[in-house]
Amino acid sequence: MPNMINRIIRQIQRYKGWFGGGAALCIFLGLYIGLLASPPDYYQGELVRIMYVHVPLAHTSTLAYSVLFFGSIWYLWKRDPLVDNMCQASASICALFTALALITGSIWAKPTWNTWWTWDPRLVSFTVLLLILGGYIMLRRLVDDRVQGGRYAAILAIVGGIDLPIIKFSVEWWRTLHQPMSFSTRGVSISEDILVPLTLMSIGCWLLFAYMVMVRTQILYLTDLLHAKKGRFLSQTHFSQTTS
Amino acid sequence: MGTKNKKIAIIVSILLVAGSLGYLAFGNFGENIVYFVTPSEVKAFTAEAYSKKVRVGGMVVKGSLKTQPEPVGLTFELTDGAATIPVAFQGIPPDLFKEGQGAVVEGQWRDGRTFHSTMIMAKHSEDYMPMELKQAGVELPKKDFMKTLSP
Amino acid sequence: MTGLYSRWAVILGATLLLAILTYQHYQQHLSTLSMKTLLSSPPESQPVRIQGMVKSGTLQGDVEHGQATFEFVDGAATLAVEYQGPPLENIRELKTLVLIGRWDSQARIFRAHDTALINNFGFVAAAYLISVMALGWMVFAMSQRVMVLFKEIKESKLYEPEADSLGHKE
Repeated sequence: MPNMINRIIRQIQRYKGWFGGGAALCIFLGLYIGLLASPPDYYQGELVRIMYVHVPLAHTSTLAYSVLFFGSIWYLWKRDPLVDNMCQASASICALFTALALITGSIWAKPTWNTWWTWDPRLVSFTVLLLILGGYIMLRRLVDDRVQGGRYAAILAIVGGIDLPIIKFSVEWWRTLHQPMSFSTRGVSISEDILVPLTLMSIGCWLLFAYMVMVRTQILYLTDLLHAKKGRFLSQTHFSQTTS
Repeated sequence: MGTKNKKIAIIVSILLVAGSLGYLAFGNFGENIVYFVTPSEVKAFTAEAYSKKVRVGGMVVKGSLKTQPEPVGLTFELTDGAATIPVAFQGIPPDLFKEGQGAVVEGQWRDGRTFHSTMIMAKHSEDYMPMELKQAGVELPKKDFMKTLSP
Repeated sequence: MTGLYSRWAVILGATLLLAILTYQHYQQHLSTLSMKTLLSSPPESQPVRIQGMVKSGTLQGDVEHGQATFEFVDGAATLAVEYQGPPLENIRELKTLVLIGRWDSQARIFRAHDTALINNFGFVAAAYLISVMALGWMVFAMSQRVMVLFKEIKESKLYEPEADSLGHKE
């Protein structure tokens, strides 16, 4: 039981190629339909196509942070180094997705809202997510002791988790320029033609995130392994030199 | 990197996170959480608030939009359902700006009669559909616009 | 090793193909003619798309029933337009839009029969390019790193990959 998550991660890692392939398929189909085979919006025209990249990037970044959040709790509880690696991997990938979501959002905002940036609650809370991730990554880079660094970083990630519900509900709790959620208890306010590429790109981004996390976790694992073995090798040669 | 530098760097990174979260929880964000005020609140402004730069959000009243050729500009009315204020703007409005849609205007309620705007931002709703559906009269479930003004 | 590069060659090829298709689509269906070109060498009989802004104070007629005359500005150039088509609220003063119609060089009037929203495709292209390139590059760099690590481990002869999903090459 204690190694359940560890076993699951190792099991899924075997099939990461399928995640990568699935992501490529969904994203290419989504890009094709999104750019060529879907109609423009009645109000925004061609600009609605930016939504097919912006929205999937944005909610994949919140998904990535959720993985980081729950992984950090699990790590503090069970001290499983594999889960720690996975957290570190999700954090850097989450930072990339968050930055891209902010950039594409800004590109979308200029021609629709008439501004690149404004102090809207949704925009501010999302930028705070990027700052939290920046702090997390810095902390991990700077603490040499993996165990200690992992513990500090996990605490940081859990505290930063407060931002997730703020991001999600910022458009419902406060007055914003950002439009409210399109999927809610009111129903779905996106017509089918526009929903198809959006769904494809969303699934594609989730799969891509899963694939990227798995590859990055593997990189961290292999790097650790290489360092550990090299360390032992160096100490062995040092030992043999001094004794002979 | 020396241990001292490292300690400083660690403190900086923790401060970065704590600071940004603190900003969210207690700082400016708490006050600025009112991203815009509504026309009703503008009408209740006292004289000392006249010179303050504020953002006002509302719906552009249908049939109120008038344009001037020289200098290029426009006047329209902004409403939140309860109160309506006249707005004047010089320049060309953003492309998505039109009657019956949401807008957030930046400027001053200068003389207590007209809102002089220096910037117009168009607020679009969360419904997306192709032209054919719109012309066929399809309405998708979306949040009542007036409710997005003062949740 | 060749597996990685051939896989990425396919991905790159598919992306380029998509970009070319999108560009062609844009050229054929969305691009507009500048007013200068329209005035100097008007195309024969084919309907053209021109982009501009409805000049303030010139809109006359009954837009709700699909009939209007107005002046259309694009920078320094101005055109007189006679619109007859579906009733659209897109035609309003100070609105930038695309008109579809023919240039009547005798009467010097542009006869429009339809409108379209402006196609500012630059923003769309920028958003897609930035996202695709950043994500693509990141995934490629990561796959390459895994390959390098395996090579290093093999060459250093320090470590035999364990019978484990993480230590295994795909």
